[in-house]
Amino acid sequence: MATRKTTDSTTPDARATAGQPANARAFWARVIAARGWLGALGGLLVVALLSPLYDALLGTSAGFQLHRLSLIGIFIMAALAQNILTGYAAQPSLGNAAFFGVGAYLLAWLTNDLGQAYVIGLLGAMVACAALGALVGGPALRISGAYLAIATLGLVFITGALLDLWDTSAGRQSYDLNALPTFLTEDHGLYFTIFAICALVLFAAHNLLRSRVGRAWIAIRDNEAAAAAFGVNLTRYKLLAFVVSATLTGLTGALYATWATTASASMSSADQTIAFLAMIVVGGLGSIPGSALGAIFVGFLPLLLDQLPSPIMAGPLQLQVKTLTTGIYGILLLLALIFFPRGLSSLGTHARALFARRTAQTTQEGAP
Amino acid sequence: MLAVLQVTLAGLVTGSLYGLLALGIVLIYRTTGVLNFAYGAIAAVSACLMYILLTGPRVNFWLALGMTLVFAVVLGVVLERAFARPVLNAPVFTKAIATLALALVLQTVAEGLWPQLAEIQHFPTPFEGHALRVSGIYISLISVVVLGVTALLMLGLTLFLTRTRLGVAMRATADNQSAARLMGMPVGRIFMLVWALSAAVAALAGVLLASQQGLIDVQFMDPILILAFVGAVLGGLESLPGALLGGILVGLTDNLLALFLAGHHIGALNISDPGIRETLIFGGFVLVLLFRPQGLLGQAVLRRV
Repeated sequence: MATRKTTDSTTPDARATAGQPANARAFWARVIAARGWLGALGGLLVVALLSPLYDALLGTSAGFQLHRLSLIGIFIMAALAQNILTGYAAQPSLGNAAFFGVGAYLLAWLTNDLGQAYVIGLLGAMVACAALGALVGGPALRISGAYLAIATLGLVFITGALLDLWDTSAGRQSYDLNALPTFLTEDHGLYFTIFAICALVLFAAHNLLRSRVGRAWIAIRDNEAAAAAFGVNLTRYKLLAFVVSATLTGLTGALYATWATTASASMSSADQTIAFLAMIVVGGLGSIPGSALGAIFVGFLPLLLDQLPSPIMAGPLQLQVKTLTTGIYGILLLLALIFFPRGLSSLGTHARALFARRTAQTTQEGAP
Repeated sequence: MLAVLQVTLAGLVTGSLYGLLALGIVLIYRTTGVLNFAYGAIAAVSACLMYILLTGPRVNFWLALGMTLVFAVVLGVVLERAFARPVLNAPVFTKAIATLALALVLQTVAEGLWPQLAEIQHFPTPFEGHALRVSGIYISLISVVVLGVTALLMLGLTLFLTRTRLGVAMRATADNQSAARLMGMPVGRIFMLVWALSAAVAALAGVLLASQQGLIDVQFMDPILILAFVGAVLGGLESLPGALLGGILVGLTDNLLALFLAGHHIGALNISDPGIRETLIFGGFVLVLLFRPQGLLGQAVLRRV
């Protein structure tokens, strides 16, 4: 907010004194003001154009590559769900992987065993996760901080163990989805479906976070006591954050199962929860673009590291890329956290602050 | 009855190991505010080094143990400087994720240096094959060692924290960092000391666990760490005796549940499955937290507005 004000206040003077370049500055100021919409539009354009571009460039492997890209759309929604709970409502919950698994298994159960339509399966998964989120959110209101983090991590272990038990007692390795609509088993159809849902979810989240609910969450995060004093119902809004996040994660889990055409108990594991957290911490807590950036970072990195030749020779050491990938991933994650402790989305703030300083400087030079 | 006693003893031993790890976790969390998920990796890397010393150059067990502890202290100092210091002022959550990344890096380095440890190896100790028999109960020598070391370490840490200047300075830093700094305490050096101390505890716990299981690989700490965290939180995250108590409770529950659930079925459900046991432990843990949100020995936090 503050940075935008400075650019706005400097531009009229600049226009009066400096003529042509000032118009350019005003233009850029307007661009910055509209950056959210431009970013969204650009994102949609990239997503829409990537499919024909891949078809043209990659030929037969285009489908495979698009399929891998679709995963990032799923991760963006999962990161957003975690960010709503942790970055906005300030609940350090590690429990989202539980809903991720439950959503996937419910979709599998509803479409496979009960023969329901796919949409019913998705809705069922979301409703069940909403209920589960309310069930978990209730007790979670009594627990805070690191205690909540470990307790909710416990929930993930419980869910993972129970889902695994369901699999073993049904005599299967994982729950294969074999009643999917045909357009979702085709890579292009899946890609567009996932990113369409992702765009809708991002749009809805954008509006929700600027509504009464979003403001209440931010108030709770910034100062719980002050929020309560201003009449924000802490219990209701914290619970709502758990329910919204669980619902969205349930949807994400169902979509992930669709993407993988199978639901497995490893979806509710500590590793999965860690991945969600890494996304929002890398991207930026309390930021929608941050959720997307973090999901892209966490989703893309393994794809890029896969391109390395194997094994890599480093002097006497012969390193398997598979083990190395984890290490490089860890190092990059560490570097990102050390240099951008507020997340990659703070890059934009830095850049804007720099731009505002430069405009202010040039105006001062031109004025006397 | 004898079986129950035997299993209780086994529970005490595994519980002590969880407790030792929980101690180190609490030590770092209290003083530096880092929820250290790399703790298991620190323990694993140290124990792996000891395995290499024992099997490669065939160093004497006690000498190898000494070298491992020295290595752990150095590792702790290096990690504090190179890792914890740069993220010191980041949000707590960011720091926790950073430790996860650190764990990945440590494991990769260990796996790269010692590829044979990617698979499970036998961990040789002089305690192997020795057991005591006390009125019908068998106690392996390593169990006695684990219990003894845990008790000694707890005693030593308590004395250190309450009776020495440095220990008091550490507690003061934990209570109020800026006040401690204003009183002229070298907060930076105290942080370094805490990391070094807890890394040494981690190494000790890692070596004890490897000796007790007789087996080791790079990731052998992973399943243990989360239970150690449960123990630490159960005890209250702020209190060292609480951490030990929490760890022992988790170990006891795990072993006793294994005994009582063995071979039982509810309908088609095999409840002796480890998954069910895990579910019960975590379920109980959440229940305890609901009644005591600050853990068993933790103090309720007064929030100032």
